[in-house]
Amino acid sequence: MSSNIANETTCAFRDRQPWTVGRVLTNRYFLYTVSFCCFFLGWDYLARTLGAEGSSSLARPTEVIVALQDLWDNELAEYKLLGHIWASTQRVLIGFCIAAVLAVPLGLIMALNRYVNAIVKPLFDLLKPMPPISWISISILWFGIDETSKVFIIVIGTFVPCLLNAYNGVRLVDPELYDVIRMLGGNRRDEILHVCFPASFPAIFAGLQISLSSAWTCVLAAELVSARSGLGYIIVQGMNLSDPAMVMGGMAVIAVVAWCTTLLVTGLERYLCPWKRKIAGL
Amino acid sequence: MATLTPTPDIKIACTNVNKTFIQKGKQEVPVLDDVSLAVRENEFLVILGPGQCGKSTLLRIIAGLETPTTGTVTLSGADGVAHGVEGPGSDRGLVFQGYMLFPWKTVLGNVEMGPKLRGLPGKECREIAKRYIELVGLTGFEDHYPHQLSGGMKQRVGIARVYANSPQVMLLDEPFGQLDAQTRIFMEQETARIWQAEQRTVIFVTNNIDEALYLGDRIVCMEGKLPGRVQTVKDVTLPRPREFTDMEFLRLRQEIIDASQLTL
Repeated sequence: MSSNIANETTCAFRDRQPWTVGRVLTNRYFLYTVSFCCFFLGWDYLARTLGAEGSSSLARPTEVIVALQDLWDNELAEYKLLGHIWASTQRVLIGFCIAAVLAVPLGLIMALNRYVNAIVKPLFDLLKPMPPISWISISILWFGIDETSKVFIIVIGTFVPCLLNAYNGVRLVDPELYDVIRMLGGNRRDEILHVCFPASFPAIFAGLQISLSSAWTCVLAAELVSARSGLGYIIVQGMNLSDPAMVMGGMAVIAVVAWCTTLLVTGLERYLCPWKRKIAGL
Repeated sequence: MATLTPTPDIKIACTNVNKTFIQKGKQEVPVLDDVSLAVRENEFLVILGPGQCGKSTLLRIIAGLETPTTGTVTLSGADGVAHGVEGPGSDRGLVFQGYMLFPWKTVLGNVEMGPKLRGLPGKECREIAKRYIELVGLTGFEDHYPHQLSGGMKQRVGIARVYANSPQVMLLDEPFGQLDAQTRIFMEQETARIWQAEQRTVIFVTNNIDEALYLGDRIVCMEGKLPGRVQTVKDVTLPRPREFTDMEFLRLRQEIIDASQLTL
């Protein structure tokens, strides 16, 4: 199909060509498959060679699957695999939502009001470079080893990117767009509503994406230190049991779950920023 | 230099406008030196000058986006009484050189922005917007986002957006400066057509002599250096639609070129 948009014809049309060896070899999906196969075969080969020498610190892919199957069927510290996944995801989502709800509005207000900015910015700059994981010990002292301390770490870790991106999103708006609103008869309220907010949306979402990956880092760190559930707990248990398959299974599950939550934010962004979706050609 | 004093048929006038920018806290840069001009109701006035002659600053002062160091801008309202201009407002509409469309709004959303900000009901906004989208020839593109349009089409949206707000004076700041030569001529023809279909008081800033002669009822030529001063004012009485190769057109063109004393 071809559509004529604004004098520039965009063609989303490709002739059907016969399959040849060359085209199959350069096909994107074929190369994806090759890439995955090489990775898993290489991993398996390495694990087998190391295993034959008596060292078994690297589990074979099949062993990881078996370990995951085992976790799925049997309880580990009261929870099956799904329970552990949910425990971690819950912490991430609660912490992430608290941070987003607090940090995004604060970032916007800081960018819009220089007095608020002058008061908050120095404190923020002071706390910003502190790695969130350095808060783990103090949070355990303050909140004990239950959920609160883990959520606290996640809030700390996700707060900074949320705030910074919201702040910069407003700061980087083309000032002439404000002139447009004022020439059309709008006031300061209209400037904020019709320029600041929509213009900073993409930056806010970039911040949320960064925050989310940061949240997973934080929840892992917190669970490695003290937890009775969660994916970090599976990894710690695997380490204690000298079971590399369990450790690697935990790692793989984290990757998949974190990827899924990222998709959630991407979906939300696409829904809320339709103009950006069309730019990216998605 | 023809200095017109505000009379009932004068729509908007600048009187002895001076503007000095303070650069880096200390150095004073005079940009406009005692500029006076007056625009009649429904007149197409072109301010012509090379780059860096203060013409855009003058337009921004008229728009209210800059304040003059001294001097006044007066606009006669619907009641015919002249009053000073303070700050930007919907009684003047500005078309920007860089289009300045809202990328998060569709063509329709951009055009109906002005009526919406004035608090008109949604249905009426839509009707006004559709009418001016049709006037600028963009019917069928209402749901497109700005990035899907070519430069010429973006500026049509910019023009429709200003028309939709029915300002008393339309200000255009080098609106076709970013277009290629052919599209530019096409857009000039379109501007003449649109203006003849719905006459408004227009102040059009350009650095292009052909564009000035093609569109203007009157051309204010600025000196080619800072501080900006009005050099000459030319009446263009050629019948519309004009021809770029008309003998009188070419003679006026040469006259303007000869009068401008540009030096390196």
